[in-house]
Amino acid sequence: MSDLEGRRVLLVEDESLVAMLGEDMLLDLGCEVTVAMRLEKALALARNEAFDMAILDVNLGETVSYPIADVLFERCIPFIFATGYGTSGIAPTYNAIPVMQKPYQLGQMATLLKHLLNCETLVRKGGAPGTGVSCTCALTPGRTGPTAIRID
Amino acid sequence: MPGAVRPAPSTRNHSVDHGLRSESPIDEMPGPPRRGALENASLVPSRGPIASYDTATTTLPTLRRGSQLHETERRLNAVLNNASVAIFLMDDRQHCVYMNRAAELLTGFSLTEVLARDCPLHDIVHHTYPDGRPFPLHECAIDRAFPENNQERGEEVFVHKDGHFYPVGFTASPIRDDGAKIIGTIIEVRDITEEKAAAERQRLLTNELNHRVKNTLATVQSIAAQTFRSRTDQVARAVFDARMVALSNTHNVLTAENWESAGLRSVVESALAPHALAEIDTARFDLVGPDTRLHPKVAVTLALALHELMTNAAKYGALSVPAGRVAVHWTLTRIGAGEQLDMTWTETGGPAVTEPTRKGFGSRLIERQLPMEFDGTAVIAYPPTGVVCTLKIPLTTLGWHGRDVVLGRDAR
Repeated sequence: MSDLEGRRVLLVEDESLVAMLGEDMLLDLGCEVTVAMRLEKALALARNEAFDMAILDVNLGETVSYPIADVLFERCIPFIFATGYGTSGIAPTYNAIPVMQKPYQLGQMATLLKHLLNCETLVRKGGAPGTGVSCTCALTPGRTGPTAIRID
Repeated sequence: MPGAVRPAPSTRNHSVDHGLRSESPIDEMPGPPRRGALENASLVPSRGPIASYDTATTTLPTLRRGSQLHETERRLNAVLNNASVAIFLMDDRQHCVYMNRAAELLTGFSLTEVLARDCPLHDIVHHTYPDGRPFPLHECAIDRAFPENNQERGEEVFVHKDGHFYPVGFTASPIRDDGAKIIGTIIEVRDITEEKAAAERQRLLTNELNHRVKNTLATVQSIAAQTFRSRTDQVARAVFDARMVALSNTHNVLTAENWESAGLRSVVESALAPHALAEIDTARFDLVGPDTRLHPKVAVTLALALHELMTNAAKYGALSVPAGRVAVHWTLTRIGAGEQLDMTWTETGGPAVTEPTRKGFGSRLIERQLPMEFDGTAVIAYPPTGVVCTLKIPLTTLGWHGRDVVLGRDAR
């Protein structure tokens, strides 16, 4: 777990208890955690604070976390989505983003965050559809690179 | 031949609804000599041949071609026959004297057939209850009497010409003559089969959701019980079970409300009720505050917060001794379109309190998570007299504020 030690992670999760669990897991992995449970707060943090990576819960009550994803693209901060719905619950524009399945599992979280750190691909916003660079990192089973980056 | 014959005059009385105020067909209506305002305006149809109706296309009686009136009539027919809602014009005997094309499609009867039956419309399209009993006219909400007010609404089940039943929504409005006497009724009818089916699907889906949520909670509880059977002390198990029950109780409140919202009072009461009992010990609790609707997320977090406060009070605080009491007082303040909930939990009569050296799940949930989740504030103070917890929760920050707000209903 050493490569995650001291990494600054933004955790966006709107359910109190789930946020607590996610925070505890990240702390166990040695990360420095900033939790945001509301869209505006998360957007402000994503715009203004320094992070090495982020975990975004897709559904935030009656809204979704895509605007935060867009800010993270602009700032070249790698991130993963967290959802109970799997990849089918993610808008096609964000297909390239790794998805962490809920309920949270420490092992899955560690694998995906390490992928973010080690992968040389940086998902960019603004590239033409289908022109994403390829990534050969091993992801979760069934999700291996190359991942086409489709950001409209 | 008593009275004017044609249904067209009704459009005069109802003209506002169609934006056709400019013309009053009755004024230029060809017809029998007028014998008085009432009779002129009468909607009683002719006993004679009904050839004046263009029954093939369901039009109002033909008027002088080329006249301005004719134009108006043409427009009116276009409006009526292209309307998707069925429109029936009823006379004072509850006979249908006109129906538009949508009404013919809805009922399966043509206007010609309806006129030829020469009986109340009820006996043609509404004669039988869905259970097969005859449906006499005097029991019918639509036809029983002239509607007192414009736009009386309701739902009924009609019988199609082919015998099948179909649910409809109706709006009935009175038509008045120049003397304001009600001489007929205009009835708009919509087939609401699809809406009924959608509502039923929604109901089944909600039931399924409730069922699954409950089962998932029970499953988690069972997994925890099996997993920690021999490894953890019974105290931890009891704490875990109590939290699961608190969560489950809140879900009960939400389930009763179809997961749309929960009553604040119900949430407070269910969170404070000892788990074995349905009622709160009113001698020990003093609950004062108005009721309102809570977003499901607020309901769940607030209930868990109250559960933690109560557990702590029962273990170390006011509820650990017979004389101790807990007051939960709250107020609602209007802010913009919504409300802010200010709630204070005050313990008295318990053992002297000292601030805990270690903060656990309860204080983390209340002081940290709750403000973050709802953009509010939460403070737990530990004066020697008893724990005081102060919560401020804007009830609007989730982009939602309760509908059906019940204000001013105090405790007890």
